[in-house]
Amino acid sequence: MYSKMERVVNYVVLTIMAALVLFPVGTFVVSALSPDRSGKPVAFSQLKWDNFATAWQDAGFSRAMTVSLIIAVCVVAGQVLLALLGGYAFGVLGVVGDKVLFPIVLLGMMISLEAIIVPLYYQFRTMGLTNTLPGIILIHLGMGVPFGIFWMRAAFRALPRSAFESAELDGAGSVRMLRSMAAPMARPAIYTLILLSFMWTWNDYFLSLVFLHGANQTATVALGVFQGKYVTQINLMAAGGLIVAAPVLVLYVAFQRKFISGMLAGAIKE
Amino acid sequence: MPATVTGTPASARETRPAPATDVRRRSMRRRTRWIGLAFAALPLGVYAIVVLVPLAQSVQYSFYKWDGVSASTWVGFDNYVSFVTDPVLRSTLGHVLVLIGFFALLPIILGLLSAALLTRAKQPGMAVYRWIFFLPQVMTTVVIALVFKRIYAPDGPLNEALRAVGLDSLARTWLGDFTWALPALGLIGTWVTFGFCMVLFISGTSAIAPELYEAARMDGAGPVREFFAVTLPGLRGQLAIALTLTITAALRTFDLVWITTHGGPGTSTLTPAVALYKAAFQNPQVGLAAAIGVVMAALCLVIAVVITRVSERD
Repeated sequence: MYSKMERVVNYVVLTIMAALVLFPVGTFVVSALSPDRSGKPVAFSQLKWDNFATAWQDAGFSRAMTVSLIIAVCVVAGQVLLALLGGYAFGVLGVVGDKVLFPIVLLGMMISLEAIIVPLYYQFRTMGLTNTLPGIILIHLGMGVPFGIFWMRAAFRALPRSAFESAELDGAGSVRMLRSMAAPMARPAIYTLILLSFMWTWNDYFLSLVFLHGANQTATVALGVFQGKYVTQINLMAAGGLIVAAPVLVLYVAFQRKFISGMLAGAIKE
Repeated sequence: MPATVTGTPASARETRPAPATDVRRRSMRRRTRWIGLAFAALPLGVYAIVVLVPLAQSVQYSFYKWDGVSASTWVGFDNYVSFVTDPVLRSTLGHVLVLIGFFALLPIILGLLSAALLTRAKQPGMAVYRWIFFLPQVMTTVVIALVFKRIYAPDGPLNEALRAVGLDSLARTWLGDFTWALPALGLIGTWVTFGFCMVLFISGTSAIAPELYEAARMDGAGPVREFFAVTLPGLRGQLAIALTLTITAALRTFDLVWITTHGGPGTSTLTPAVALYKAAFQNPQVGLAAAIGVVMAALCLVIAVVITRVSERD
């Protein structure tokens, strides 16, 4: 029922599609290693690994990558906490008024940043929160609440009811039940949430561009500035790009299953 | 409506057989619901401050003319009317339509084509392919923009390939060309989304009952009829997700344009999001920027609702 011919067709189709994805990335990697300013490919022995060090210094990535990392770590930690609280409330405890509240939360997954960025900026400016890390972290957290609640609520609901009932009979309080039973049992979902949240925060450009300047630039914004200054030095620009993409790519290599299943399941986000 | 897309049974908990109606238990349930509200208070509070309040303010701002500094004046629907009267702003909507062709239609056609060509059987090595197809999804748009800046550069791979086959006349500065910059940007979107669509559709076809295919074969359906009679209807849910995501992505394009062309040359690649950014932060017409944001949000919502409705209709 599954002939050799079909198998060959399958691999041909898949390989053509994969080549279409990989080719642009491949030329970019080659450019990043080229000693030539225009990024022309060269023989392996001539590859210039210093490009990464040069780009790192010229673009001021030590500072920008640190800023990005601080933001991402704080957002991920806060995100998980908010998602656990909200998901547990809506998924297990039930919430007074949830017939109204839950649709409002879900609506948030459809609201794009563009719809709120203007007042957000001018309000934060009067409060002195623009160009501060706490300000941008707060925005990331608020934007992430709908997906977090949606995600953890589904995860908690998938747990067997009997576990909750017997813990309830043992007289465990809600906080203890979340901490010592529900959260550990939902660990796979939490890990996926951590990865997705880190990726979304690290990859953000628009929010950082609007809210952070100068010393508070994130890696993505610093890369944007860098490429504007080094228009003619494509090899350095490419090296810088790979540096900024690296943290998420490393995680993607290590946890590809979680990334893909999480993004397919959470495709409704954005 | 997002819940229906993934098929989460929203009423799973309510339909559990009701426990013996015992007063003590019911009051306890009521108590846990108040505890639940206390648990949800923090996330809901942050959400309200960051999303709900500014959303309402966006609508409010959009009825004013304000430069961000001096006093604002009420202008009614003027900011919305400029979507019709201002040719530059109006052109952004046309650009979005072009981008939808590249971000949504082309990737979905490619994805369907490959899903149709592939046999619905577990393929060794599929994990590696899936990893590759999803790669553009995890890369930050800034880096993707740089990747394609290199591809489209005057002496980049695309122009060199054209020259190598003797099509020198076609070689050009793709992103600096009034006619070609927008399609060139669009193709980046195609590159970003087609792998995602493929994975979505391949996983969708593997969920279609094999009996349906057998029945179609017995009726003498060829591969083409089989595709339209079995595969396409079976992928309805996945199509809805792919369309919603890719169309809203086209509508919201910012990073890609900002890094590569800044909306230029001229205004030939200006998108609503770039127009919003310029109006909000460069030469402040804050009310107009808010109106653009509101229109974009409304369009996203309408698109999602319409697509979900159509895909669920029998």
